[in-house]
Amino acid sequence: MSAATETVRPPAAVAPREVRPPARRPRPRVGKILLGVLGIVVSLLWVFPVYWMLLSAVTPNARLKASTPSFLPTHFTLANFTSVIGDSGFGGALRMSLMITGVTIVLVLAFAFLAALAISRWRFRGRTSFVLAVLFIQMLPAEGLFIAQYKMLSTVGESTPVLGLNSVLGISVLYTAMLVPFTIWMLRGFVAGIPAELEEAAMVDGLSRTKAFLRITFPLLAPGLVASGVYAFLQAWNEFTTALVILPAEDRQTLPIWLRSFLSASANRGIDWAEVMAASTLIAVPVIVFFLFVQGRMTSGLVSGAVKG
Amino acid sequence: MKRTRVVATGVATSLTLALALAACAPADEGGSGDTGGTPEAGDITLWLAGSDTSDELRQYLVDTFAEENPGSTLTIEEQDWTDLVTKLTTALPDAANTPDVVEIGNTQAPTFTYAGAFREISPELYEELGGDKLLQSFVEAGSIDDTKYALPYYYGSRYMFYRKDIWTKAGLEVPKTLEEFGDSVKKLQSKKQSGFAIGGQDWRNGISWVFANGGELAVKDGDQWTSTLSDPNTVKGLEQWQDVFEGASNLPPTAKDEAYWDFLNDGTDGEAPDGATIMAPGWARWSLGDMTKNDKGEEVRDGMADDSKFDIFALPGVDGGVAPVFAGGSNMAVSAKSQHPELADNLLRIIYSDEYQTMLAKAGLGPANSDFDKLMTVDEDGNPNKFGEVTVETAQASKLTPAAPGWAAVEGALVYEELFQKIAEGGDVTAIAKEYDAKLTPMLNGQAG
Amino acid sequence: MTTATPASAIAIRRRRTPATPYLLLLPAVLILLVGLGYPVYWQVVTSLQQYGMMQQFGAPPTFAGLDNYARIFSDDRLWAVVGRSIVFCLVNAFLTVAIGLGLALLMKAVHSAVRITMQVVLLLAWATPLVAAVTVFRWLFDYRSGVVNWLLVQIGLDQYQGYAWLAQPLTFFLVATLVIVWMSVPFVAMSLYAGLTQVSEEVLEAARLDGASPRQILRHILLPLVRPVLAIVLLLQIIWDLRVFAQIRLLQDGGAPVSETNLLGNFIYELGIGSQDFSGAAAVSIFVLLLTVLLAAPYVRSLMKEDAA
Repeated sequence: MSAATETVRPPAAVAPREVRPPARRPRPRVGKILLGVLGIVVSLLWVFPVYWMLLSAVTPNARLKASTPSFLPTHFTLANFTSVIGDSGFGGALRMSLMITGVTIVLVLAFAFLAALAISRWRFRGRTSFVLAVLFIQMLPAEGLFIAQYKMLSTVGESTPVLGLNSVLGISVLYTAMLVPFTIWMLRGFVAGIPAELEEAAMVDGLSRTKAFLRITFPLLAPGLVASGVYAFLQAWNEFTTALVILPAEDRQTLPIWLRSFLSASANRGIDWAEVMAASTLIAVPVIVFFLFVQGRMTSGLVSGAVKG
Repeated sequence: MKRTRVVATGVATSLTLALALAACAPADEGGSGDTGGTPEAGDITLWLAGSDTSDELRQYLVDTFAEENPGSTLTIEEQDWTDLVTKLTTALPDAANTPDVVEIGNTQAPTFTYAGAFREISPELYEELGGDKLLQSFVEAGSIDDTKYALPYYYGSRYMFYRKDIWTKAGLEVPKTLEEFGDSVKKLQSKKQSGFAIGGQDWRNGISWVFANGGELAVKDGDQWTSTLSDPNTVKGLEQWQDVFEGASNLPPTAKDEAYWDFLNDGTDGEAPDGATIMAPGWARWSLGDMTKNDKGEEVRDGMADDSKFDIFALPGVDGGVAPVFAGGSNMAVSAKSQHPELADNLLRIIYSDEYQTMLAKAGLGPANSDFDKLMTVDEDGNPNKFGEVTVETAQASKLTPAAPGWAAVEGALVYEELFQKIAEGGDVTAIAKEYDAKLTPMLNGQAG
Repeated sequence: MTTATPASAIAIRRRRTPATPYLLLLPAVLILLVGLGYPVYWQVVTSLQQYGMMQQFGAPPTFAGLDNYARIFSDDRLWAVVGRSIVFCLVNAFLTVAIGLGLALLMKAVHSAVRITMQVVLLLAWATPLVAAVTVFRWLFDYRSGVVNWLLVQIGLDQYQGYAWLAQPLTFFLVATLVIVWMSVPFVAMSLYAGLTQVSEEVLEAARLDGASPRQILRHILLPLVRPVLAIVLLLQIIWDLRVFAQIRLLQDGGAPVSETNLLGNFIYELGIGSQDFSGAAAVSIFVLLLTVLLAAPYVRSLMKEDAA
């Protein structure tokens, strides 16, 4: 039995492969080149505000509001970055954000994925109610919840500090709950986009349900998981109000709260916008790293050989 | 049937409110300031807002506290100004996690005071900490009638920064009265340069005209606050402001008080400035001046080093003297749920001690105790410090926004921004004042309905 | 070749009513109850009470029935805000999804180097912290030193010298739409692209062999297969765009007529954090929830039909 399952290749891919003509036509189509150009133009336009942010981050604050805008870093300086990184809060905030977001992502993707499977691949009693409940929860504005969230964690924290205020787990539980509904919805859509027949075909060929799922459906879901994962990452990474009240201690703040401190004028200075831009750039970096890492892993290892030629 | 329910709800609500107020009212807890015996050792937390209090000052507080209260420690946590209210709203009522002493903005103090967030400061302790020598307008912001809850911590002030070179060229001198100011800046007005660069929504500066004319924004009668924009003096002040805005400022009516120094400075390539005069808080100084390099080699403005180009003066009053301006600054209070009230009071004693007040003044922060004001007017070498002088001068005449429980809501809803915008757009001040009085009076009194 | 009989597979499922779906749902349900249960309950209860600063600091909240709702509905500002919010929300949501779909299709059609460029750019836009993004747009449209005015004057449109984009509601919302679309499209584009890649290459090849034009492939194969994802992202955009707050507030800070540019998100904020009228904020939140359900009704109805099928 095990020998059989190992040698069986996903059936859907086998038959067409034999009869398929060469995948690429000999000469590249003009249309494709034009579209490529369009893609580049769109990219340039879309990246312009990001470029502006980077430009401001490497310009001295005193030169930011110039009467003639300069599109190149004529007064290049790294002083904003050094001062922002040197700020005592940065290291700690980075650590907190990484830990909280890390825990949250794992929990969210795991729980939401299982739930999405359940509601897409099975019919059972209570399914509609659950689906509706999840939908409605998402529609409730989260802005007013922080008071209750604080009270809850404060009470819990008295008996279980590891889940209370200023703890990583406590806020991660809150974030997971806040992100699971949306993630279930997203993943449900992706799972629904993969016909169950693919698995069934594999099962007919002798694969167990789980194996069929892992070999066929899961790799196809990879891009969907990445998209949902990045979204959840960003939400947790940039969340502000809940973190503000749940993590009141100065050394337990997350990056968004740390960034906020650059936005208040004080008795000694106005807002240093160049530093705000430098700080913002630093906050964006881990997200890019996460995406590139996940994108690389997902599209290479899991997808190989399964369906694509 | 419905009416009885409404009446019942109304009665229940008023009873509850009365009970709540009674609960908030000065309690019997043996009052603060009881120095009978040393308090139990404990660890207390102080929340400071923003970075105004320097590290040196903070270290002093921590060290002195440890010395005077053997076995106890003080931890200082810095909180951000922008969201301080939200954090205090959740943390202060929570006995297990509340900070013991907090710094809070003077405009935010009334809301929290009325809500019962703070522990009462007994008359004895108040006297010990400075009594009537403390900046009274700030004391009022933190009191309910005569009971004190939050005391002034430090004050800042706002005054006029101007281009002396441009004024002199036009043959104008520092104005002595408010009207002279208006005339001067209108004379300096041109298409490219505002005589007085002020935004239409800038009420924080604009209300100086109201105060200068003897007007009030709101008054308290018994328990109720009433918005008094329609008061003849207030209308006079607003109209005068409207006149100055229309005649001397090129900024849109929707502009807020923001980086006015961008208007006063020469352009980065040496272009003429967009404004000849601005009104700003004292710290604007560090963003004004000519471009230079600081010790780290970074390009910054030189802080008004060239006084033939940049100088300051206090906004003059209607009949000379100094006009009352809106004072910035913060208050200090003890949390009502603090687990170590006696230790918290000891910390207050350190903050209001002569040594600390001196340190505040020397750091350029207006000390709560007016005895120490004159320290602001000289620098380390004993030379007169014009910035300190003008700060003290204007602060003495300063006023605050109404110490009403709903003031924070008014600010949060940007009501005054809109009021001033309508005036700046040239509307009929009397009619606008009436409209906004009707809007503001319920807001000033209300918390939840 | 899929010779498996779906009927028999489904028949087996029905007979057994397995515990599997329930088990799969369990983690999600648990975390939702733990993390959101109390806060949501608190929100509903508070909307029926009188709860402000006094209550936050110890005064017992009184039951106020539907008073909070009555108070809010009689506030004549509310309806203007609601109308504005709905229009803004629908314009933004549809614009975002349309552009996102376009970009997703573009990404599918271009050379992989161009595609990766586009993905990185979109990710950069997505990862930029909200504060930085809105501030950059504010600077670009600043009436004195903004790049946009400078460019317009350069090409001869002198009336834009010193033009205050944020001072009029219409141009204010133009800028707001630009910001929000710029920030939201990446998520939509990435998700739709993920959905598109799930369509197996074989199906597409077979269609091409049969002589289908790219347009026909688009209409009859791609779009129907990504419909689930498309519907979901549109729904999510509507939910979010209805509640948008931070971008509007930050733009208003740049100098704008407040009551003509306030949206529902501002309303909730002003009630909750702004004036500490927590029961009012809770009532508005519930109202927004109902409003969202109303806007999403067609979607919810089709969902129910799909489930019943």
